[in-house]
Amino acid sequence: MISPIKIWRRQKEIRKILGKKGKILAWTKIYTPGTDFKKYAPYPVVLVELENNEKAYGQLVDYRDEDLKTGREVVSILRKVREPSIDGVITYGVKFKLL
Amino acid sequence: MNFIIGYHTTQFGELWEKSLFDLVEEAINGVLKQTSLSSRQIDAVFFGNMLAGVLENNLHSPSKVSEILKVNIPIFRAEAACASGGAAFNLAKTYLDSNSNKNVLVVGAEKMTDYSPEETITGLSAASSGEEQEAGLTFPGLYAMMANFYLEKYHFTEENLAYVSVKNHYHGSLNDKAHFRKKISVEDVLKSPYVAYPLKVLDSSPISDGASALILTNRHDLIKKQRNLVSVLASEVATDTISLKERKKFDEILATKIAGDAAFKKAKINRRDIKVAEVHDCFSIAEILAMEDLGFWEKGEGGNRIKELLTMCENGGNLIVNTSGGLKAAGHPVGATGIKQIGEIFLQLTGQAEKRQVNNVRYGLAHNVGGSGGTAVVTILSI
Repeated sequence: MISPIKIWRRQKEIRKILGKKGKILAWTKIYTPGTDFKKYAPYPVVLVELENNEKAYGQLVDYRDEDLKTGREVVSILRKVREPSIDGVITYGVKFKLL
Repeated sequence: MNFIIGYHTTQFGELWEKSLFDLVEEAINGVLKQTSLSSRQIDAVFFGNMLAGVLENNLHSPSKVSEILKVNIPIFRAEAACASGGAAFNLAKTYLDSNSNKNVLVVGAEKMTDYSPEETITGLSAASSGEEQEAGLTFPGLYAMMANFYLEKYHFTEENLAYVSVKNHYHGSLNDKAHFRKKISVEDVLKSPYVAYPLKVLDSSPISDGASALILTNRHDLIKKQRNLVSVLASEVATDTISLKERKKFDEILATKIAGDAAFKKAKINRRDIKVAEVHDCFSIAEILAMEDLGFWEKGEGGNRIKELLTMCENGGNLIVNTSGGLKAAGHPVGATGIKQIGEIFLQLTGQAEKRQVNNVRYGLAHNVGGSGGTAVVTILSI
């Protein structure tokens, strides 16, 4: 279950990886999502190696299918990531866009 | 030495008339009847289940199993996502290692079809990392990432993956307990819709209901009397990071390699001694990775090897894989799967596998994976 406290705790971590450049290491495009992501399907998810060698996941936004390739350069951005929780708190998280 | 003396499984499939514990009861009664044991002769129970707490607010399963058996013995639940059954078996074996002259019941079960696919997928996602969940990465999505990485690195296509499903559906057509009994072609797989690119519906194991049970013993009096007796040479568990992104390689399941190597070392046999194996084919790519990581195929050659279909029983290769139909065709009631895999090897070793029986089998292997590779259990059995 997603509680407002969990969302608040996560925000502190998200801040550290925003605005970071990186390269796509692996990717997929989800056609059958879980409940909270049904509205967004199909959507691509990329596994990215950031400049500091850390790795992060996120959905890729503003893309065309031909952009889905390993090695493509991306940058991390802040976006709404799932349907609001029952308490109405909007969950923001990391997504990526192409550089 | 510990021995398996009986195995029973329910039908796998969409069993709308049966609850989780209806299935558990059916599997338990089946295996007790087969071994002519009463519930009072069972000294402990290990129960593999993943989702009951998440999907149906149904926990404290040991007490529920106690009510079915009408006994007051130690009962434990094991949870390791899709490796819950394998983990329960490993714990049962470990229990016998430290307790002489005992009978242990191992039962695994899952009830998955009461919910919408989205709800079940969300429940299954509980076994992935928080970041994976936040990115909307499902389990098919994680395996799809591995598949994409593998296909690109070794220059294979989706067609190479499709042969896994073709073979396992053929085996499923021979197993009357399988969820799917229909043979399929490579074209059928390639034409099916995507679940998570490049994996399609027919690359993926289904959402199933079912329960499977085994009796494991080290009681000398019982061992002497049994007609169907299979010894447990090794059962090894290994773990790895919950997040795929934290692993050094995306084209292998390290936990499988570690558990597999440890199991072969303990069993003191070689890879070529294994004539039948049940490997964890939750997705087509998973069987290819399993065959490589268990050391049956070289890394990167699996895409070609599967196209030869030498692991299909009608082709009579040296090693036949997933005669039950695998997770793909037999179905994947998560907690039951690891028990069913070991049970299928038991049937093969005791000559009870009917139309899918492989001849002259002395050793068999079962391989069960949890999540995207966070847990692996490898079991080696012999007659």
